[in-house]
Amino acid sequence: MASPSAERLVETWMASARDEEIEETVSEISNDRITLLNVVKALGEYLTSEEDQLRTKGVEFLSLVLGRCPPEKLSRQSALKAMGKAFVGGYIFLAEGEKDPRNLLIALAIARVILIEFDISDHVESLFNITYCYFPITFRPPPNDPYGITTEDLQEALRGCLSASPLFGPLAVPIWSEKLTAGSPATKQDTLETMSLCLPVYGAGLARVSARKLWNLLKLEIFQPTDPLTEEEALKTTRVLVETIYAHEEAAIESEDDIQGLARDVCEECINILREPEKNQARSAIKVLCTFVTTTPSVSRFTLSHAVPHLVKLFLDPGEVSNRAPILLLLADLANSARDSMTKEVNKTKHTVAPMMPYKDEVLGVVSAGLKSPASRIPALSLLRGIVWTKRLLTDQELGYIVHSVNEVFQSEEVENDDFSDSAVLEVLTAVSKTAPRHVQEQTLPMLFNSLPDRAPPRNASSERMKFWRILLALKALCVHPELFETLVIRLTTKIDLICLPTSPPAIDDLEPDAAYAHSLLKTIADALTAKVDAGHHDVAKYIERLVPSLYNLFIFAALQDLPGIATGHRLVREAADIITSVTQCVPARRQRDFVAGTFKILSTGEVGGIFEGFQKLPPGTSLSLFNESASSFQKNLLALFSAGVVTAHKEVLPSPPAINDFLDQLLVWSITRTDHYLQRESAWHLISSLVNKHAETANQFLDDKLNNFWQQFIANPAISSEQRRLAIEAWVWISKALVVRKDPFVARFTDKLFEVFGDDAISWDAAKALGNVASADQILTKRNRAVVKILHTQKFVNSILPRLILGAQDSTKSPHEQTAYLVALTSMIKATPRAAYAHEMPALMPLLLRGLDLPDFDIRADVIDTLLTAAGDDISEKSLVSEHASTLVTNMLKNSMWDEMPSVRVRTAALEYLSVLPSVVRYDVLHPMKATVLRELAKVLDDPKRSVRKEAVDTRLVSSQVKRFRRLTVHSFFSTIW
Amino acid sequence: MPSEIFNPNPTIFSTKPTVRKSDFSKQSLWIDEKTQWNDNPDEPEPIDQDEIFDLIRSIDDPEHPNTLEELRVVSAPQINIKGNNILVEFTPTIPHCGMSTLIGLSIRVRLLRSLPDRFKIDILLKPGSHQSEHAVNKQLNDKERVGAALENPALLETVEQCLAGAGRRGHSE
Repeated sequence: MASPSAERLVETWMASARDEEIEETVSEISNDRITLLNVVKALGEYLTSEEDQLRTKGVEFLSLVLGRCPPEKLSRQSALKAMGKAFVGGYIFLAEGEKDPRNLLIALAIARVILIEFDISDHVESLFNITYCYFPITFRPPPNDPYGITTEDLQEALRGCLSASPLFGPLAVPIWSEKLTAGSPATKQDTLETMSLCLPVYGAGLARVSARKLWNLLKLEIFQPTDPLTEEEALKTTRVLVETIYAHEEAAIESEDDIQGLARDVCEECINILREPEKNQARSAIKVLCTFVTTTPSVSRFTLSHAVPHLVKLFLDPGEVSNRAPILLLLADLANSARDSMTKEVNKTKHTVAPMMPYKDEVLGVVSAGLKSPASRIPALSLLRGIVWTKRLLTDQELGYIVHSVNEVFQSEEVENDDFSDSAVLEVLTAVSKTAPRHVQEQTLPMLFNSLPDRAPPRNASSERMKFWRILLALKALCVHPELFETLVIRLTTKIDLICLPTSPPAIDDLEPDAAYAHSLLKTIADALTAKVDAGHHDVAKYIERLVPSLYNLFIFAALQDLPGIATGHRLVREAADIITSVTQCVPARRQRDFVAGTFKILSTGEVGGIFEGFQKLPPGTSLSLFNESASSFQKNLLALFSAGVVTAHKEVLPSPPAINDFLDQLLVWSITRTDHYLQRESAWHLISSLVNKHAETANQFLDDKLNNFWQQFIANPAISSEQRRLAIEAWVWISKALVVRKDPFVARFTDKLFEVFGDDAISWDAAKALGNVASADQILTKRNRAVVKILHTQKFVNSILPRLILGAQDSTKSPHEQTAYLVALTSMIKATPRAAYAHEMPALMPLLLRGLDLPDFDIRADVIDTLLTAAGDDISEKSLVSEHASTLVTNMLKNSMWDEMPSVRVRTAALEYLSVLPSVVRYDVLHPMKATVLRELAKVLDDPKRSVRKEAVDTRLVSSQVKRFRRLTVHSFFSTIW
Repeated sequence: MPSEIFNPNPTIFSTKPTVRKSDFSKQSLWIDEKTQWNDNPDEPEPIDQDEIFDLIRSIDDPEHPNTLEELRVVSAPQINIKGNNILVEFTPTIPHCGMSTLIGLSIRVRLLRSLPDRFKIDILLKPGSHQSEHAVNKQLNDKERVGAALENPALLETVEQCLAGAGRRGHSE
């Protein structure tokens, strides 16, 4: 009989669901006044109720009580012990066949407690049956499930039960076997994961007894995998199996003869397969062995001691010479696993020995033999990379030897590096240079520098050119380490000086190959420098005293010769300017002060001296006159170098308006009236923009003057040439940008002005595009350059302009030309800004963008298609928007993809790309009526004269043909039309 | 899928990306200006053997998780173009391979879908590479028989599976 007290508590809780009753029940149990069995009996009618809700409550009560009962009360209590079996039996009867996922989740939680805490010896099979019957979980929550129970929740709860008691072991193995042989990939993965969890609990004994059986199951999933995920799971389970069997005997194992059973058998089995290293199954076998390497130390040692010598022997077998490449790859896999197996231990003790240590010499021998033949070169380098990255394996001397051998590989190869071993060589050398830069410094760098020619090979010697490009690529990759970079700078600047200012004038008139050579050297320095800035290296700043002055010196000297030379061309100047920008970005304010002051002095007075003096001696009293009407183009190019060193300046070292107003005005007018190359103008605008941005507080007078005078004089003035007006608009863009990025309210007055000339035929499109350019990101007004940049500035700017552009483009009272200008401004603005800035306006933008596809400017068309691509539907509203316009879009894109109608490759490619995206955005019933047309038209595009377009067409056509349900029809129609 | 595995353990070869010789000779003098032909939108680039190889190299083998390129079933030198005639030769991994027809069919469907209809395509086994070479060749190049084969939904489905990854063109993804 249930005690009245238990019944009362249950009844009261059912009515009230208060916490008190739970507490009281628990305390009654703790004080031995009632037993758990009483509680279960009192709950009887609820637990067996047909009504889901009552049953849920019953289970909930029991679970709350069990959860709060101190564990020792559950197991130690004599009453429970006596009644334990009856309780368990009763529970099994109650819980059997539960199907509601909510109850099941709780029932499984209770079952876990019972399995762990109670004496279940008489009920193992029943408990096994009521839990394993749910395996594997196939429950899928219904859509919008209010209870939020996921498949994973149930899986986890069930696995908690299955792995709760070692007594389940013998019963579980047949179930696993059944599920693995017959199951779907999902079932297989679930089974494998469950095995990995249960095996350690079920214990070494069971694992050892069932090892063979389990391995045969796992083997199938590894050697004939259903899919990569299942294969990976099977390998994980194999690792757990081996660890379960061998972990506890680790201490007892003295020699490898002590490794018996599964590890030994499987190792032998796999090594047998490795006798044919070039075959498919060798790859699976090595995966198993690699898994073994990551298990217990003794199994790992055992595996390596069999596998490595076997592969080494095979490699040296004269009959296997043709299989050297696959053998090396297998060894590389082993080396990588051996390396990874020690990462967790290496930090713990200082005495960890690399597992590959005993085979080091043999492996190095195999590597050097492998490196000698082109066929096995890349695999040998992979193996080398694996061992170079292993800690505590190689001595300094060995690293030196490796660098030597790898250098030989690099040298032995001719220009045709079509097996891409260079990148593998560089990876090995980079790895070495991290720990032992000396070897690279002493061996590799001299070899590379000595292979660089003193002068460029002639124009038609393209293979010579490829040779030094290859060396420069290697130098760029290697010389990031501070010591190596220093050597790079010294060697390359010396070479640049010699090329740019030869002691004897060049015999031939063609300067371009030499200029291109010097340019490539500068670019190598610039690229290595960028990598260093990105990596945050501290040694960059010191080059303000070394590299930067010598660059100024060289280029100023060359420009003053007033003859076309090598260091006078705009490409070289631009590259040198990039270097100056990278270095000055890293220099603190106090070290910038003199440098910036010196730059402004030379710009205002033209006097060359101080920091710009150097190796090339300038005659005393030399002065620059780059703003003069008579200045040579070479001198004017120099502005790029000065601007590059100043746009990165800290605000406090920069001169400020209004004191600098005259200079800025002069520079602005110069950029429009006296420059002869884009580089010169751009440098001027960058300088002005950077200054205005950093000193906007004191720039009112300068800005007002631009609005009131400059605008009238250079932009809204039909009397001057359109060319100059266009340049003035570009300058206008840069001043506006300076204000936009700092969210300065002044900017509205600048952008308003641009709308005023939308009706002016000569410059309306330029003014329209300018609005987009104002919004676009650039490399000058950045945090790195210490510009004042506020967050979400683009968003704010777009919000202030976009509505006006949309209205303008829709406004039919405006002249068609002006409307088009609005449209051009709109497309240019959208192209320049991230999607989030305009996504909310898409419904209004869509029809306008479609009109943009008819504009005669191909770049605009391509921009529009790119915009449509980024806006092609992540969310539902966008999808329906695209669906609404689907037919127009398809017609328009087809038209733009035909090579006989659309000369621009960029437009054709973009249009095809859009067509290939459409089926994933628009439902097939919308596209189906157009499908036949699309396929027919695209068949023509397959014959496009450009390879890149054809490639896009093939992919697009494939996507279109796979619009569901019509596949068969399509293939059939191919045959009827083609044959 | 048939239950019989014809070649349970084929040899896997390493693969490498295609480098066109024609691109190499058009190299600019300047290191950051790699491709001059981009400047000239009018210069046509005719379909060549590398391009056709690119189309078929990543077709999956019906039996193994490898591509036809990795198994050396197809290769660029085994493709010939003369005017509007294309000849694609392929090599089965073993002479009794029962999958040869399916592989050939997959190549044919891929090329039909990807090449302009002015081309006539012949797909042949490498001479001496297969014990029923003649029969397979005949089947692959008979319009009626290929058409009939593709009317079989199960067969078409298998072909589609082989072609699912063909768009990779030698890249891993």
